[in-house]
Amino acid sequence: MAVERKSWTRNTLLLVALAIAAAFWLIPFAFLILTSLRAQGELLSDGVFSWPRELRWTNFAAAWNVGNFSTYFANSAFVVALKVPVGILVAALAAYPLAKMKFAGERWFFTLFLIGLAVPMHVTLLPLAQLSQKLGLSDTLWALLPPYIAFGLPFQILVLRGFFRTVPTALVEAARLDGCSELGVFFRVMLPVSKPALATLLIIDVVGTWNELIIALVLLSSETSRTVPLGLLTFQGQFGVKFAQLSAAIVIGIAPMVIVYVIFQRHLIAGMTAGALKE
Amino acid sequence: MNAASNKLTPYLFMAPALVLFLGFLVYPMMHSLVVSLTDWDGLSATWHFVGLSNYVTIFTDPASRAALSNTLIWSAVMVTVPTILGLGMAVTLNQKLRGRTFFRSVFYGPTILPLSAVALIWVWLYNPHFGLINEVLRGIGLKSWAKGWLSNFDTALPAVLVTAIWHGAGFPMLLYLAGLQGVSPSQYEAAALDGAGPWRRFIHVTLPGLKETHIVVFTLAIIGSVRSFELIYAMTYGGPGRSTQVLATWMYFNIFQYNQAGAGSAIAWLIAAISLAVTIPYIRLMSRR
Repeated sequence: MAVERKSWTRNTLLLVALAIAAAFWLIPFAFLILTSLRAQGELLSDGVFSWPRELRWTNFAAAWNVGNFSTYFANSAFVVALKVPVGILVAALAAYPLAKMKFAGERWFFTLFLIGLAVPMHVTLLPLAQLSQKLGLSDTLWALLPPYIAFGLPFQILVLRGFFRTVPTALVEAARLDGCSELGVFFRVMLPVSKPALATLLIIDVVGTWNELIIALVLLSSETSRTVPLGLLTFQGQFGVKFAQLSAAIVIGIAPMVIVYVIFQRHLIAGMTAGALKE
Repeated sequence: MNAASNKLTPYLFMAPALVLFLGFLVYPMMHSLVVSLTDWDGLSATWHFVGLSNYVTIFTDPASRAALSNTLIWSAVMVTVPTILGLGMAVTLNQKLRGRTFFRSVFYGPTILPLSAVALIWVWLYNPHFGLINEVLRGIGLKSWAKGWLSNFDTALPAVLVTAIWHGAGFPMLLYLAGLQGVSPSQYEAAALDGAGPWRRFIHVTLPGLKETHIVVFTLAIIGSVRSFELIYAMTYGGPGRSTQVLATWMYFNIFQYNQAGAGSAIAWLIAAISLAVTIPYIRLMSRR
């Protein structure tokens, strides 16, 4: 009885501490949403705490149309739609021999890709800008794709190689005996059995690609080519004092990630830890 | 399939990845190493090799030194505070508590947001006139504490750090939660039988049991710290003065604003070198699998 009471008190205290911490984590979101729904003038007269006199959904329309957010959003969607599947396919193709074939330099190639984990994008920015100019891709979304894919590869190859290694070799051998080419084995055996790992990487990559700022900042300059994270910064300049519209723009910019998070949280969390820790 | 094509197969599979990796990661990286040894401004057709002088300048130029020392402060805070917070959250949420998945989602949530959005949310919270933080201070009678947190020399760096902690603490929490699954319950039972209380069990069982996780958390925290760019760029642009200038922003300004491509590339390479030095033990751990 005494023990039970003690643990009950302890649990209550822990819950209170957690609730306070959670409030600290959630309040910024609450105020973001509250601000995005009120009229700018109210902020001056009523302050941030007051409940909006009427919900101003028009802030969202203003951010979307006037602020060019529809363009930024479409640009980011385009980059994600191309980069993510192509990047994962390229990584999977490379991970397959690294997991299931014996060849000269196997370990060397794997280490080469792994070292990429340590390379910060910072050290490639200026040459990438020059490169995209040489390739005639300056200020286009296409310029983002090759470096985005390249920087995604180390993590994806690491995770996929690890996963492919757990696929029974007998399964691969059986397919080979049935006359499957290596490409056939890859598409008909490895990829289908790796759906969970691929799904996890896909979600992590959607988030990472949607959020990327540094390379976009350096390679994109015109209004029409900006992605969402870059567009948000422009917005700050244009709408600097219109907090209501700025907040609406931020809500639009983070909405896809919040939706992805709510739906695929399990995948995201499993993937983030599997990639970083030795199982 | 003949023997020759068999031998080539693995390389053909890796070819697309190798082309992209070498062309858009390794080559630019090496190119900027060359640039870092020159006085190139990033625009003109001519340049000269200047040896390591750009690297020396990082440690002698006052502006660079400010960036360097801010990066040290930033790293010291980001290696300790989110780690301790994350560990605390993980140990708490590892128990059977009501709503633990909810709390985990809340703390991890900010890490999936674009940093520029996180920056703007906090710029708004810190706003001197209507920002939530100053409104609260005025509301509770601490009117004199209200200030322009991001425009004040003394508070700008801590203010951005608070944002970085809010954004980043969920990740070490997640890693520690995963690490805790590897600490066997029998060790706790043995310690409890020896009469060890919760605190001693934490010190003698939990902490040592998380050794590998600590390595991963510290490594990722250091790499993340020396790279930190977005929050500072979006919240303070390195200012006021040099008060929030860090290596990554100083690198960016040198290369893309001040036409100091050589000097900027040297800073970029310093960031890369720290990152590589810290990551190599981690990579060895991973490749041993």
